[in-house]
Amino acid sequence: MTVEPALSATALVKNFGSKRAVNGVDISVPRGSIYGILGPNGAGKTTTLRMLLGIIDPDSGDRELLGTTRPRTASNRIGYLPEERGLYPGMKAREAIAFMGALRGLPWAEGRSRADLLLADAGLGHAANDKIKKLSKGMAQFVQLLGSIVHRPELIVLDEPFSGLDPVNQERLEALILAERDRGATILFSTHVMGHAERLCDRLAIIASGRLRYEGSVGEARATMPMQAHYTPRDNGEALAALLPADAVRENGGYVFNVPDSGMEALLAMLLESGHGIAGLSLERPSLHDVFVKLVGEETVERMESEAEEAA
Amino acid sequence: MSNHLHQAAVIARRDFIATVATPAFLMFLLAPLFMLIFAMVGGTGARMIADSGDDAQRLVVIADADYGTYIEAADERIRATFPLGIAPAELERREPQGGDPEQQARALFTESSIDVSAVLFGFPDTPRIIYGSGARGADYLALLADTAARDRQGGTPPGETVVEIERESYARTSATIGGQQSLGFAALFLLFLLTLLLAGQTVSVLAEEKGNKVIEILAAAVPLEAVFLGKLVGLFGVALLFVAFWGTLAVLAVMALPGSGAALTMLDPAIGFVPFLALAIAYFAMGYLLLGSVFLAVGGQASSMREIQMLSLPITFFQMAMFGLASAAAARPGSSLALFAELFPFSSPFAMVAKGASDPRLWPHLAAIAWQLLWVSITISLGARWFRKGVLKSGPSVFARIGALFRGKLA
Repeated sequence: MTVEPALSATALVKNFGSKRAVNGVDISVPRGSIYGILGPNGAGKTTTLRMLLGIIDPDSGDRELLGTTRPRTASNRIGYLPEERGLYPGMKAREAIAFMGALRGLPWAEGRSRADLLLADAGLGHAANDKIKKLSKGMAQFVQLLGSIVHRPELIVLDEPFSGLDPVNQERLEALILAERDRGATILFSTHVMGHAERLCDRLAIIASGRLRYEGSVGEARATMPMQAHYTPRDNGEALAALLPADAVRENGGYVFNVPDSGMEALLAMLLESGHGIAGLSLERPSLHDVFVKLVGEETVERMESEAEEAA
Repeated sequence: MSNHLHQAAVIARRDFIATVATPAFLMFLLAPLFMLIFAMVGGTGARMIADSGDDAQRLVVIADADYGTYIEAADERIRATFPLGIAPAELERREPQGGDPEQQARALFTESSIDVSAVLFGFPDTPRIIYGSGARGADYLALLADTAARDRQGGTPPGETVVEIERESYARTSATIGGQQSLGFAALFLLFLLTLLLAGQTVSVLAEEKGNKVIEILAAAVPLEAVFLGKLVGLFGVALLFVAFWGTLAVLAVMALPGSGAALTMLDPAIGFVPFLALAIAYFAMGYLLLGSVFLAVGGQASSMREIQMLSLPITFFQMAMFGLASAAAARPGSSLALFAELFPFSSPFAMVAKGASDPRLWPHLAAIAWQLLWVSITISLGARWFRKGVLKSGPSVFARIGALFRGKLA
């Protein structure tokens, strides 16, 4: 039996005037997972999230969210932290959280008592009765985040949740996301910081210039690039370079190159036979950052070429 | 549906509390008091200036005591029939000084101690009147001279009447047609004034949400129609509080006045006093919600306070136009213009409240309120769509839709 995804989208397209912001994005977020959408600024992440949530309608494409094709009907089961943070400055922290819960169908009294607990857990219990305008930017952002989960939603969508937070609060937020996943919620968040995605995500999508460049698990993403060998010879003779793969580059007295498709055994035997020896050797799996830069870099080159063509 | 109404209520509650629980609201609530104080101070000053000018105004009769007595007696009787405030200038008798009476009369216009507006001389044989600007004083002096001459010729002593006329007061049990129309117009004007003062506030409410970025939270959680309805109802609550406060004070003030009970019985709208009051409240609600929803939709498109300030002028013109239409309808009940004003949704509440004063039927009001409610929902729905399309840029553009339709037909 297959479990239907918490959220899925097929061929989403969105234009703003003559600019295509999202160009045929497909996404499927498994229930109970933490799913990241990665991409540089202006990649179309926020527009994709807003379409998935039904804040705006796509120009074309299909979406399904918590079993319905009309995202609005499921709004009480969703929590959302928008990229542009917004709270009423005159509201007290606990009232702001209760208000956001009430918008999603949570009774006010219940919202207030949950707000007190959430604030206390987040180390912000002392600020429960402070007005938003008195809070620091990071604290206000955390209050808004708590407001997006106060009604215990099945799906939590966070747009760039880590931006604007100091390292301590970033760590707190990571713990909170994991706790919500453990509670059974599905979490979808966008970011352009690889570290958070690498630590948290079960699956991820990489979007650049409105196009989906990758969709799968973090491990699969890293596996799209070959492992890298860091080799340091005992004898760094002139003939050595000819023995190494063509992509080998010098680095710190050694060489760095992609592990050949045929593996390392034949190469190592040749290096030993030729007398260059092995002073050091390590094999490293490429990081998510490497994958991201590779994908986004290509896209950037394409865009530059396309702009150059248009200019010509 | 009930979930959306609940969400609208959450937004309305927030907006109501956020507006009422501020020092600015106290200023807003008491604003009419400041207006009254300024009006009283200004009015008193203007009245003092006007009164000092009026005090110096004189009508003069040049006549000896015998003839003058007739004139003065006629003045006493006729002056008593003028309502307060519009009586002619005070009458003053001067003894003839001998010589040419015309010269004496002309000389009076140059006196610095009084402002002579007209002088009567030569009574009773060759009466003449010389007057300054405006013939009203001269007309009055002519009437006095004519009355005095008739009394003198008929042998009636000054101040006495020829026949005693018995008078009996009749207490009307129903209002006059003119009274009902006046009541209708007064209600119409009051409604217009209240919506002019209060409904215009809705124009800036979405700009606030866009400014503090809360609109994204609301738009994600709640259908825009519910956001619009919540905002509208929240501000209507503020307006209702304002009206209730001043309405209560006004009622208490009227009841404290001596004879107010009898005066209130003169307010006899055709539909009955209590139903008329209920209808006035209902039409205030409808007028506020209808115009407020238009202003909310228009204001939602503005991206800065400057744009909102610029919008306030056409908004005021729109309200004035609705008032003008409804006023014209109230002056011609039963006409096709009146029917149009009653049917056109944005003038309907004003036109219908005036109708309530002179038309005893209830069903047109029930139909009108249902019609206006329908238009409130249509306006909110259109406003929300406009916002979604124009501000949030949701869905394909109109051109893209037409293109897709065209391609579909070709395929």
